[in-house]
Amino acid sequence: MANIDLDKMLEKIKGSQWALADIDWDAPGADRISAEQWPKLKAFMSDLMWIEHVGARGFAAMAKKAPTDTLREIYTYFHAEEQRHANAEMALMRRWGMLDGDELPEPNINLRLTIEWLDRYSDDMPLEVPGSVIPMLEIALDGALLKFLLEEVDDPLCHEVFEKINADEARHLGVDFHVMEMLGRGRLHQLAVKTIGTVANPKLILGVLAYAPLLNKMRDNIVAMGLKEERLYEAMNKYERIGGRTEEGRRNPWFQIISQHGKMVVNRSHPYHVPVDALVKLTGYIPSRVVGPVPTWVRGLTWRTTA
Amino acid sequence: MTTVVNKSKTAPSRKKTTRKASADPVTQDSHVHEVLIVGAGFGGLGTALRLQQDGIRDLVILERADEIGGTWRDNTYPGAACDIPSNLYSFSFAPNPDWSRSFSGSGEILQYVHYLADSFNLRRLVRFNQDVTGLEYNEREGVWTASTAAGETFRGRSVVMAQGPLSNPGLPKIEGIDSFKGKTVHSARWDHDYDFTGKRVAVIGTGASAVQIVPELVRQAAKLKVFQRTPGWVLPKPDFATPDWNRVLFRKVPASQAAVRKALYLGHESVALGIVWNSPLTRVVEKVAEAHLNAQVKDPWMRRQLKPDFRIGCKRVLMSSDYYPALQKDNCELITWPIAKISENGIRTAEGIEHQFDCIVFATGFDISNAGTPFPVRGVDGRELGSEWQRGAQAYKSINVSGYPNLHMTFGPNSGPGHNSALVYMESQIEYILKAVRVLRSLEIKALDVKLHVQARHNREIQKRLAKTNWNSGCKSWYLTEEGFNATMYPGFATQYARQMASLNLRDYALIRT
Repeated sequence: MANIDLDKMLEKIKGSQWALADIDWDAPGADRISAEQWPKLKAFMSDLMWIEHVGARGFAAMAKKAPTDTLREIYTYFHAEEQRHANAEMALMRRWGMLDGDELPEPNINLRLTIEWLDRYSDDMPLEVPGSVIPMLEIALDGALLKFLLEEVDDPLCHEVFEKINADEARHLGVDFHVMEMLGRGRLHQLAVKTIGTVANPKLILGVLAYAPLLNKMRDNIVAMGLKEERLYEAMNKYERIGGRTEEGRRNPWFQIISQHGKMVVNRSHPYHVPVDALVKLTGYIPSRVVGPVPTWVRGLTWRTTA
Repeated sequence: MTTVVNKSKTAPSRKKTTRKASADPVTQDSHVHEVLIVGAGFGGLGTALRLQQDGIRDLVILERADEIGGTWRDNTYPGAACDIPSNLYSFSFAPNPDWSRSFSGSGEILQYVHYLADSFNLRRLVRFNQDVTGLEYNEREGVWTASTAAGETFRGRSVVMAQGPLSNPGLPKIEGIDSFKGKTVHSARWDHDYDFTGKRVAVIGTGASAVQIVPELVRQAAKLKVFQRTPGWVLPKPDFATPDWNRVLFRKVPASQAAVRKALYLGHESVALGIVWNSPLTRVVEKVAEAHLNAQVKDPWMRRQLKPDFRIGCKRVLMSSDYYPALQKDNCELITWPIAKISENGIRTAEGIEHQFDCIVFATGFDISNAGTPFPVRGVDGRELGSEWQRGAQAYKSINVSGYPNLHMTFGPNSGPGHNSALVYMESQIEYILKAVRVLRSLEIKALDVKLHVQARHNREIQKRLAKTNWNSGCKSWYLTEEGFNATMYPGFATQYARQMASLNLRDYALIRT
């Protein structure tokens, strides 16, 4: 992969900013959502909007760990852009009559647990962890879900909005993979020792316990919505393909861990799914009040174009 | 220089004797003054005061405004105050026993400046509304000429650039900044006629001015949003009203005030160990700031937003006990999203929302001349200081530049303190200028010009020492040029700076006689 000039990328990001106010949310086409689609789409959009926030919180953590000012600023923008995507998705939900007043969509428990983990521990993780996991979530969940959405939904405004979101995401992925390769540089044994040190961190183990069922839960949701789970797997394979196309990328131990994990996820007959599916079921019994209060940054989410 | 003089003088009164600009037609002042001074703030007036006390009376001060006071005349925003205790932020040769608070507000500091001007009869030296547009040295005559925007010229044997490093408001480079249809105010040019009551107000910037403005504006505005790019380290400010007995004591026993000043001075000097250099004390000061944040802000996300990522001291340390509480008021919101642009109605941030306002307050600091000069300065052979300084300003002992004979600066390159009172540094500069002017008189020479190799050696040493300081530890700040060159700060204790300035060694200078 050609190395990205991060300074130029930052300028490009700054020059590509858009706002909710740029979009005519009352444009015709909202009625193209069928009654049959409506409840599924509502659940789908709720998940999607919160997945944006997993990315957002991940980028916020990465901004704290960024080795250079430029990368820190890029991640600060990405954090904000993920929030913009969530806001725009809420505005679409509002357009389709899926939100009342200032009501926020409810995240599923696995998303809630992942966000809770990110809020508590992600700032303590070395850049390698969010730097390798976030691209997987972006490419797999975001990528697969967005494709599905555009195939299913006729509303032209939805297409207009996601064109903008996709353009942002393309820049995110460009930087994501560039950084993954960057993190694969250095002596292999040093990378290995550092990785082992992090893997043994109990905080990370808790993170795995949130992340693994999230993927399976999303797979279940996708299937319930009529998307073939292979679409998700195709997207996950893309992570391995792009992330592993250079020597440096492959040398990043976290890329290897996430890829191997991805292979288990896409293989439905792998024993991995027995405990993880059980975890999905188990987490389903956790009442949301146990997880604790929602973090205050959630209050910043809005479908309104102005504040 | 800690001798307390002028003990008989009374404290500054509220009365201001304003002398407005004369209505004289444009004239060319062909008389060669002994010293020309640019700026009637602390630096210019302090220099004039000491020169006068030393018997050098042929002085002229060129002031661009119609009033004296410099920074403290311009910075009148609500809450404006100095973050150095008043007993230290004043001249040791003109103490004020009547400071009403430990950290006095801008109004009271301005009164003190007026007191200096009035008590030491300095106003008659000031030519108001004379905005200097250029300084030029005539090598043959050994005379500096100052040209002003009013079309007048003034000549002087020596010149003191005391226009101040923080005198020109700086606006951030934000797309659409001119398109906003509402009211805009810069902290250093406050509009006191604008009523903030019930308004939706934005404050851009979270530096030294912002932490003072926000607690005041939050009381008036209907909604206040504070836009932060980088959070700074904030230490609590022990600001309290001076008890009456304290003022009586200072009046009756001036030595007690001198002792307090000395204690404050030494206290600030010790803080340098944590702020200027990275030492175990740095972590202690960071812990104090962190404890302050944690005690005042309970929400974990907001704490995270407000916690700096850089080492304390790298940027200016902020002092406030009411900034964090103000941010948490119901009508206040801290916005940390990057600003994408300013639109007709407000500020669009990268999370896609347009935040709409009636007024935007720019608490964005000043244009710092660390890579240029505020107006063209031409020295020997027509050389121009601004172009020589393009890659970062350099001077000898912060005060003289080779090729610019008899040109002196207050707060020139590498004279900035990060931990102590600017006026302590300024006193050293003023005394140095006094020595230089005296030398011209006593040796009956035309000019003193610092030797280039001496200046270069001095700067090599300064930069070597700066490399070990927290300012050069990797963060972006107004102390550094775009390229990261530190032309602003002095890498050491105030005591070291005073020692550097204590003697004028004639071997460092070319003595120009004819």
